[in-house]
Amino acid sequence: MNGSRVLRAEVFPILASACLFLALGAGFFLLEGHAPVALFLEMVKSAFGDSFAWSETLVKVAPILLCASAVVLPAKLGLVTVGAQGQMNFGAMAGTALVLSMMNGSAWVVLPLMLLTASLGGAFWGAVPGVFKARLGVNETISTLMLNYLALQLVDYVVHGPWKDPSNLGWPASANFPDAAILPTFFGSRVHLGLVIGVVAALILHVLVTYSRWGIALKVMRSNQRVALSAGLNYERNVIIVMAISGLLAGIAGIAETSVMQGRLQAGLAGGYGWSGFLVAWLSGQSFLRIIPMSILVGGLLSSADALQLFAQLPSSSAIILQGMLFVSALVVMNWVKLRGYHA
Amino acid sequence: MHIELRGISKHFGEVAANADVNLEIKAGEVLALLGENGAGKSTLMKILYGFYQGDSGEIVIDGTTVEIDTPRTAMALGIGMVFQQFNLIPALSVAENLMLAYPKSPWWQSRHRPVWSTVLENLTKLARDIDPSKLVRHLAIGEQQLVELAKVLNLNAQLVILDEPTAVLTPQESERLWALVRQLADSGRSVVLITHKFEDVEACADRVAIMRAGRLVEVADARGKTIDEMVTLMMGQHQVAANPSVKSPQKDIQKLWIKSISAKDRRAAIVDIELQLAPGEILGIAGVAGNGQRLLADAVAGLAVLDNGEVILDGEVVSRLGRQPVNPNRNSKIGYIPEQPLENGVASDLDLTTNLSLHRLVGMPFFPKKQTEQAQAQKLIDEFNVRPSDPTKLAQDLSGGNLQKLVSARELSGMPSLVVACYPSMGLDILSTRAIYEQMFKHAERGACILWISEDLDDLLQYAHRIAVLSHGKITGILPAASADRQTIGLLMTGARKTA
Ligand SMILES: Nc1ncnc2c1ncn2[C@@H]1O[C@H](COP(=O)(O)OP(=O)(O)O)[C@@H](O)[C@H]1O
Ligand SMILES: [Mg+2]
Repeated sequence: MNGSRVLRAEVFPILASACLFLALGAGFFLLEGHAPVALFLEMVKSAFGDSFAWSETLVKVAPILLCASAVVLPAKLGLVTVGAQGQMNFGAMAGTALVLSMMNGSAWVVLPLMLLTASLGGAFWGAVPGVFKARLGVNETISTLMLNYLALQLVDYVVHGPWKDPSNLGWPASANFPDAAILPTFFGSRVHLGLVIGVVAALILHVLVTYSRWGIALKVMRSNQRVALSAGLNYERNVIIVMAISGLLAGIAGIAETSVMQGRLQAGLAGGYGWSGFLVAWLSGQSFLRIIPMSILVGGLLSSADALQLFAQLPSSSAIILQGMLFVSALVVMNWVKLRGYHA
Repeated sequence: MHIELRGISKHFGEVAANADVNLEIKAGEVLALLGENGAGKSTLMKILYGFYQGDSGEIVIDGTTVEIDTPRTAMALGIGMVFQQFNLIPALSVAENLMLAYPKSPWWQSRHRPVWSTVLENLTKLARDIDPSKLVRHLAIGEQQLVELAKVLNLNAQLVILDEPTAVLTPQESERLWALVRQLADSGRSVVLITHKFEDVEACADRVAIMRAGRLVEVADARGKTIDEMVTLMMGQHQVAANPSVKSPQKDIQKLWIKSISAKDRRAAIVDIELQLAPGEILGIAGVAGNGQRLLADAVAGLAVLDNGEVILDGEVVSRLGRQPVNPNRNSKIGYIPEQPLENGVASDLDLTTNLSLHRLVGMPFFPKKQTEQAQAQKLIDEFNVRPSDPTKLAQDLSGGNLQKLVSARELSGMPSLVVACYPSMGLDILSTRAIYEQMFKHAERGACILWISEDLDDLLQYAHRIAVLSHGKITGILPAASADRQTIGLLMTGARKTA
């Protein structure tokens, strides 16, 4: 690829999406009666302005990145899953069960076991729609969506019922995690091990799908199942494996949020990270490498919500609106580029 | 209508698909446009049809220069073309497809009888046995071709261009097409018949124009040329290889046993097929396309759901009752060239390297070496003469003939005990066909069984040891090729059982 082609194919869409996004965002701010430029600058500052801003952004990057990986991997097999939200919840619940049963264990035992059970829980919640897809041909997008609600209800049930801690004065949540069940954090901030796991997982998966035999097999199965079958590839088994790994990643995100951010299991632990991860995966063209910077961008956007509240008295959910605008901008530009590409 | 193409040139990147072509098409004639794959025949006619724009040159119709910028213009001028790749809508019925393309059809779907009968008139003439209410996706390739042809005839075109129509037809269908082509010419219309088969030229052409590497090398009276002369003109300097030879099989040993298998899917059924092959035996399966060939091939290769029976190769079950288990070892034992390689044989959005290594994928090291794989692919590409010869190109960028070579290269490159080949020469010129046959028969010489599904009776009679005829999903007869003749086989194809 020569320079101008790279420019056209890579840089142009990014710039165009950014411009469109800024224009939409500016319109939104104007409607709310605020000077857009100043507000955007405030947002950037509150997301990336100093080391504390950075740390708070990275805290959000961890679950987004894990959830984005959980979307990208199934996409390599042609599957569209929206189940990260539910897998976070279910993984967190599984991890919490372990913690509640070992309240006095040492960190060396509790932490690995907590991560393991949360992973297995997430993997199970991912494998279920995988099995439905593989054995019965049930559409994975619909079933993962349904399972999100189910997982949410389950968490709701346990924190209102069996795991409700009376010392919370009626607030529906489990008992606080002991110190031994809090994931390690770095630099005296809230940035935790989940971020490291997320980055490492994305890099490993990138290497696997790009260079390994398994990666080739995934491409073949996505491209032509008949041919894959005659090449001896087991599509059904791979659907289940891929969905399970995807759930595992989201499960880790779930327990990390529970352990570090909330310190106990309570409803709403997944925030909107499952959805943010889905957007990031699409914005990055389902690439394990690109989701890393894209997660930082979206993480920054979400963490600037506080700035919006502080400086402009906008509700913090405005960040979600901006996130939606970002997604729409990128989709519009991508489709436009694609259409033009056909005529060129 | 009298058409003149003057100085037509067309480049695709570096490739000169047409170079300064001057060609005349006279009213009421059948002009055969002959040439091997990639000679530029389709491109030339697509320029006349307005599908491509020439880089230079002009088109003169009845003395006036015309600008044909789209197929719509061409149709308005009375030029119709049936492409090599069809343009039918699979989910609609035959009649609906014809109705959509019918110029005078109302925008609503009329149930009015007279309209239907006009729309269907040409189709009925072409093929009485195609049910107009059948969905196009359930038609065999040969039948789809006829529907396409009916579409163009419905436009009442003065010039009908047919791009390799007989490549996908059975002998009977071909004969019917030739008669129809002659009839069109006799009614004053012109027909350009793109082909690489000499029997097409002999059967119905008035004149023959021969192309090679983008240039028009000869235009002559069709009767005035012998086949040898035409081959030389088509191939240029290439030496035409001698016919491949085949050894007779080992007698009295059974290597492949197809044990009374039955299967059915939405498009076809096979019933109680029983065949036994000796090591080194080439068994030809003759029959009209759409009589269960695809299902039979799938079933023997262990890819179909069997309702009954089993297939045993070297004493091992390779296809059993019910849904077939995923078998990673299938590829080392069975080479399978399926019909319609684009849908059934390749991962079209992946590169040639990947497509050429599919059969080895399961056994590869976990991190395959890219250079090694590409070098292997390059070797196969060169050996089987696949164009473009760049292993990083995507399979979907290959023409039909080259896809066929690609799939054959992969499936015939190992050491299979059984080769199942469906129409392996589809879309190939003589030279490439012989090359594929040679590769295929090499395995027979090694002692592998060859199950060879073909519609080319002459080739089956020449190379196969025995010929089984498939009709309506049943084997209606098995003949030793040495004593078989076209008439008997033709009769068996219609479903008459051999009484012997
Ligand atoms: N759309 C295209 N893009 C690039 N190359 C093409 C295209 N169509 C044809 N060619 C090339 O032009 C040459 C002539 O092709 P074609 O006219 O299809 O040959 P034929 O019909 O005689 O087999 C071939 O080398 C082919 O690869
Ligand atoms: Mg052609």
